[in-house]
Amino acid sequence: MAGTAERMASNQKQVAISEFFEKNKHFLGFDSLTRSLITAVKEAVDNSLDACEEARILPDIRVELTKIDGKKDIVELKTEDNGPGIPQRSIEKVFGQLLFGSRFHAIRQSRGQQGIGITGVVMYSQLTTGRKTHVRSKIATEASAALVDIGLDTRKNKATKSNETREIWEHEDGTLKEHGLEVTTRMKGKYQRGRQSVYQYLRMTSIVNPHADITFIDPDGERHHWPRVTERLPTKVESIKPHPHGIHLGTLQRMCSESKDSRMTVFLRGNFSGVSSRAAKELLQAAEIDEKMKPKSLKPDHYRALLEAFQGERMINEKPVKLLNPPTNCLSPIEELLIKKGLSKTIDSKFVTTMTRSPTVTQGNPYQVEVGLIFGEGMLADKPVEVLRFANRVPLMYQQGGCLLTKAIESVDWRQYGLDQAGGRGVPKGPAAILVHLASTNVQFTSEAKEALADNAEVMEEVRKALLEMGRGLRKHLEKKKKMAKTQEKFELVNDIIPAIAEKSAQILGRPVPDLSGSITKIMGAVIAETTTTWNKETKQTDVSITLFNYTSRARAYTLLVSWPERDGAAMEHNDLGGRKEATGVWAWKLETLDPGQTFVITYSLSGLERGDWTDTDVFYRGSQEVIGASKMDEKILEEIRRLEAVAAAPEETEHDDMDDMEQNPASPEIPPPTGQQTLFGGGE
Amino acid sequence: MMSRTHTNEETREALHGVVEEMYDKIVKGEAPTMTLPVRTKTNIGFDAKLGVYKYGKKRSTRDATSLGSAKQLLRALHVVEFIEEMIDAGKSSTLREMYYISEAWGLGKFSSQNESNNLAEDLEVVTKCLREDFKLRPEEDGARMIGNLTLRERNRRGEWMRINARDDVGDSGYGVPYNVELEKIELLEHDIKFIMAIETGGMFDRLIENGFDEDYKCGLLHLKGQPARSTRRILKRMSEEWDLPVVVFLDGDPWSFRIFASIAYGAIKTAHISEYLATPSATYLGITADDIMAYDLPSDDLSPRDIDALKAELTDPRFADGWWQDQINMMLELGQKAEQQSLAKYGLDFVTETYLPEKLADLGLA
Repeated sequence: MAGTAERMASNQKQVAISEFFEKNKHFLGFDSLTRSLITAVKEAVDNSLDACEEARILPDIRVELTKIDGKKDIVELKTEDNGPGIPQRSIEKVFGQLLFGSRFHAIRQSRGQQGIGITGVVMYSQLTTGRKTHVRSKIATEASAALVDIGLDTRKNKATKSNETREIWEHEDGTLKEHGLEVTTRMKGKYQRGRQSVYQYLRMTSIVNPHADITFIDPDGERHHWPRVTERLPTKVESIKPHPHGIHLGTLQRMCSESKDSRMTVFLRGNFSGVSSRAAKELLQAAEIDEKMKPKSLKPDHYRALLEAFQGERMINEKPVKLLNPPTNCLSPIEELLIKKGLSKTIDSKFVTTMTRSPTVTQGNPYQVEVGLIFGEGMLADKPVEVLRFANRVPLMYQQGGCLLTKAIESVDWRQYGLDQAGGRGVPKGPAAILVHLASTNVQFTSEAKEALADNAEVMEEVRKALLEMGRGLRKHLEKKKKMAKTQEKFELVNDIIPAIAEKSAQILGRPVPDLSGSITKIMGAVIAETTTTWNKETKQTDVSITLFNYTSRARAYTLLVSWPERDGAAMEHNDLGGRKEATGVWAWKLETLDPGQTFVITYSLSGLERGDWTDTDVFYRGSQEVIGASKMDEKILEEIRRLEAVAAAPEETEHDDMDDMEQNPASPEIPPPTGQQTLFGGGE
Repeated sequence: MMSRTHTNEETREALHGVVEEMYDKIVKGEAPTMTLPVRTKTNIGFDAKLGVYKYGKKRSTRDATSLGSAKQLLRALHVVEFIEEMIDAGKSSTLREMYYISEAWGLGKFSSQNESNNLAEDLEVVTKCLREDFKLRPEEDGARMIGNLTLRERNRRGEWMRINARDDVGDSGYGVPYNVELEKIELLEHDIKFIMAIETGGMFDRLIENGFDEDYKCGLLHLKGQPARSTRRILKRMSEEWDLPVVVFLDGDPWSFRIFASIAYGAIKTAHISEYLATPSATYLGITADDIMAYDLPSDDLSPRDIDALKAELTDPRFADGWWQDQINMMLELGQKAEQQSLAKYGLDFVTETYLPEKLADLGLA
């Protein structure tokens, strides 16, 4: 009897593993031939990016697809990275164990939260072609690379190794490969182009991973390359302990039963974030659990009571127990400038604006929202904008309509920002792409397919806020453009049309061409600043030119000031006029008196930037008469910049002030420095 | 009859006046300008002496402080130069040709034909010259005419041809040329009692086929929708020189009312020459709003545009008299409009045997 039962159990298991895969392939990402291929690439690339990030290596990733049998839809996928590699003995664990236990104590933002893992690819490949997955791995401390073929024993849910060997791994140019991983696998799959394709997946991945260099060779042999645009790796994410607001009963139960702590107060303080010793005592009091009780000996009723105390359903003095928010430094946003670079890399941009919100918390989980909008060259004006959705830097490619991020975009009235939108709702139309990125320690999806974010009123509001805030900057830009177009018209009027009228009328009447300066002054009646900021391909610098025209009947004197990306490491070159630094990122020139009809030109170049980094220079003036095309310098803002600078420049001296700040705001001790040009000037209000 | 046209020297001088206004403003250190009467219904008034509607005293100044109007001024200069060149060379051109020639005017080129037409009219209004003085011809061809009337037309070779508009023409009638002034056309003799101007070609042909012109001793003139200047001008000449009554037979809709107003009282766009083009004695025969009810004619609902047009007509000084106010209000109340050809409901001969005789009898013409 016992033998039969065991056999039955083992049979059941065997059926379970392959059938599990078969039955659930839609949410494992293997439901169609096209999607299977995307999922396989996704698992491999996500692994590479995560590994590189952890090892602090700038990733170089190469993905190659080769058609093996067109009729039977057999494709070979080969991915190669320059990551840390996997030690030989760990290879089978990484590639061969399905549903490898998750580390529930460690909560952090990671790509790996999504998908079944690379093991799923090994299994899919084996199920569809009967072939094993070939792995080549080299770690820095070993001279040679490990080669091994990995298969799966579905009966035992275990990896099988074969053809294990070692060899020297050389690059194509003959140099030694220091470290990295190469995975070669054959599977049933179909390569397609379009919105849901391997190409689009890699393109989107490169947008939110500007630190990665990605090369893709498609089945037609065409090579696509998305270069690295920053040397800066994403900030290292810290693991955090779970917050009581975000915990489920099962997890709580497991944490308690595995705990070796001697008493509940120690357990609560040590295993959860946001729980002070006072809060721990209050929670236990609310749950009517003895402080000295061992976590291990908790009874089912206790768990429930404790959970209710966590969630504020059991109260103390008719108030829920007050808990601190979890720390938010466990998140790694892409940040405004890098989103900008990422977008400009894949889309030929006319204008980009981005917005990174401060991190915040929902249901005990820290999260952070980032958005970007790019007006692209050659994008279609009568088509819906491209919606680029990301969760923890992973592109979401399916179920766009059901996703919280899409719904947030749809809820904004985009017409005021220069996009078409029927009735002010829905995905707007226009030559643009809108990016939304949610970074969180716990991304909530609508289903196991993990392609759409689940509804959550707080997150929704946060995304909306980000989009609206970004929209304000955009509207400002559009208004500025409109103003510039008007100024441009005036220039055409006085520089071309009026002279032509003077000349032609003189010619018809047979009289001398009259002097125009009086008419021009009368027509313009203003001082005008014309600013151009252009990328110079030759010098790889951003050239800025400001021309000041005095079209009034009096002499005028001004000091002109400009914003420039000093904080982003730019240097000012060819500034022949000199001038002086007013504050970080603000340069000033005191100009000589400008007589009526006179013009004055300031030029300089910015080095240390890349194309698209700096496309718009704000010009300010000090002087009595209004300057069209510039804003009057707000001395208060300048003061504020100088004050912030003084604080940042001398941290030691102002340590005490900082401490005060920190105590007032324990959740986010660091105020992130402003990164985008939109927020420093012109942005915000 | 007073002469309409100006000599080349008069024309040149008048045009130079426009140029001088601009030039002098620049010399004075001001923005160049062009001053012209306001050309909307708010600035037309009845001229009791001439019996037509003319522009009033409202003037607008187009000054070069915006790009759009500055370009207009520059275009005007180019047009003046072009007209002088034509005067010097003894040539003429169509408005459409001028539009294409403007391609070479750089900043002063026209962006649409409509723009060049309007500017030619502007210059007419400002200089009080006519486009014939400017050697500019319209594109539009004139109307067709049939009836026992005889005139003399000078052909391309400069020879005078005698034409009877009943015996010397085919079924399509006599084609009215764009220039119907004395140097081109002389009205000789006629044996008709009145002239009937007709909106649509279909109705014109119906009356000819039914022999209406002979039965009722009348001249028939096809207006082709909103009539061209030459059509209105020849109608006026026939009415004045031969002292003939003019009746106007149009569709029954707001747009036909406007056609009638331009024939009888003067068009808003050409109010500067109303006294040459308008026929104040013309009578609106039909289709009237009460015809739609009296004859139970097949009709269509008024469109929102129709309704807006009718409402605008209520405040148009040309429709200020009681009869028109009644007709317009009645049509608004009915909410219906009808075409001339809806009379065919009662058969092809109904219009010539019943409708027109009844309507003409009311006027004492049948």
